[in-house]
Amino acid sequence: MVAEQWVVEEVLKVIPNADISVTDLHKSGDHFHVRVVSPEYEGIRPLQRQRPILNHFKKFIAQNIVHALDLKCMTPEQASKSGETAFDPHGGDVEFFGVHIRREKRSE
Amino acid sequence: MSFNWTPEELQEIVDNNNIVLFMKGTPEEPRCGFSNRAASVLNELGQPFVSVNILTDPRAIPSVCAWADFPTMPQIYINGELIGGSDIALEMYESGELQQMISANESK
Repeated sequence: MVAEQWVVEEVLKVIPNADISVTDLHKSGDHFHVRVVSPEYEGIRPLQRQRPILNHFKKFIAQNIVHALDLKCMTPEQASKSGETAFDPHGGDVEFFGVHIRREKRSE
Repeated sequence: MSFNWTPEELQEIVDNNNIVLFMKGTPEEPRCGFSNRAASVLNELGQPFVSVNILTDPRAIPSVCAWADFPTMPQIYINGELIGGSDIALEMYESGELQQMISANESK
């Protein structure tokens, strides 16, 4: 179990100076929505934006420190146009058009 | 001839086809909501695409996921490049990026 601030600091190691907000979706300390806003994402495709962060967190996911990371990586322009991006795949039937990894779907 | 889901065989599929969708089921009979969404986005593009049903062989999911270094299904490839799953595909379709990638390939 880790704190939201821990996730923020780990993401900052990957992309310093980004504007990062983390939501602990179940208050369980292992399932996070992570919204990352940086001008560095300009011209980079969604998957390539996520890759460095996913690679950094791979070890934490393998150790079961983090169960799921729902990543939303945006440019400042995209962030200004998007509303609330937090999405809980175990929650209600909210349709979500963003970028996230649903690890819990793996066993489906 | 048998198909063994080796990295070489998988690479050949995405190298030889402009648009490839690895999915659960088929575009006509998808077996998962996310695969359905990915197939629907590709249908909207109006270009022929190859779909690979990864439920036909228990070796498929672990082989494709390890080869792609991407944990979930579906997976969309355009011009040999992994784009992501259904959420990224939808996001890129809505922003027009997906259409751009495909028309860029056509003009080659």
